Amino acid sequence: MLMCRDLADIASDYIDGELTSRQNLSVKMHLMMCKHCRTFIGNLRASTDLLKVHSSGRENEELIRKIDERVAEALRERKSDGGTRE
Amino acid sequence: MDTATHPDPQGSLIEDLKRGNSFAYKEAVREYSPGMLAVARFYLDHSSAEEIVQDCWVTVIDAIQKFEGRSGLKTWLHRIVANRCKNKLRSINREVATDFSESLDPELADRFNAKGRWDLPPKLKFHESADTLMENDALSGCLDKHLSALPETQRSALMLYEAHQHKSEDVCNILDISASNLRVLLHRARQKIFLMVETFQETGKC
Repeated sequence: MLMCRDLADIASDYIDGELTSRQNLSVKMHLMMCKHCRTFIGNLRASTDLLKVHSSGRENEELIRKIDERVAEALRERKSDGGTRE
Repeated sequence: MDTATHPDPQGSLIEDLKRGNSFAYKEAVREYSPGMLAVARFYLDHSSAEEIVQDCWVTVIDAIQKFEGRSGLKTWLHRIVANRCKNKLRSINREVATDFSESLDPELADRFNAKGRWDLPPKLKFHESADTLMENDALSGCLDKHLSALPETQRSALMLYEAHQHKSEDVCNILDISASNLRVLLHRARQKIFLMVETFQETGKC
């Protein structure tokens, strides 16, 4: 029988739909009976979603500025080499 | 469904990059550099990782001419970064050391009794949506702090999978890890974030 600890161990696989159908079924059965694990799965899922929202708009401005400069310089060099591409 | 037949929004960006259009480069740099940095950070320390990403963009200017679009632009860029990092590691004779042995976080593992039942169950439900939670600046700052404290390997796996929405097999290819090891990295990282949010909700402290 699947214990709470076992469920916690495979919780991410459950969330991502990576379990076999048999494992999936035993997780679902466990969740029906266990309030704590339902809370845990819900919270782990929320934490995962949090990350999607949090990091999607993040950029390293300083790094991007440096890259822009280097790319611009490299593009200029190539153009002045006569290597205009069209 | 014939959505696969054409219009590829990336197609025109790629064409502009091939022509050396500087605006296209600005757009692509902004869009793809955070993911490229996440890849590089899997392999290297922060400053070396930033250097590699910068160098990669310069090589992209020429390499893009040969880009045939078999993979997406993002995956292609991430592979370039990964290959460069691996070369660099080889040249300094170092390997990425990662522990894939345990998938349960020790702090969480301690919360079960000998029978495997919850001893210290999660008390609160995170009832707010992710968007609402992130409006809380303190929580957002706390998340930053905890993300940067994650082992590089976990953070990169998490970023590529969640934030940059790569498929598992792409993440495995880029980071050169097996599917089961990716699962371990993802699960370990998520548990850390779970524990952080839980502490934050209970105590208001980071």
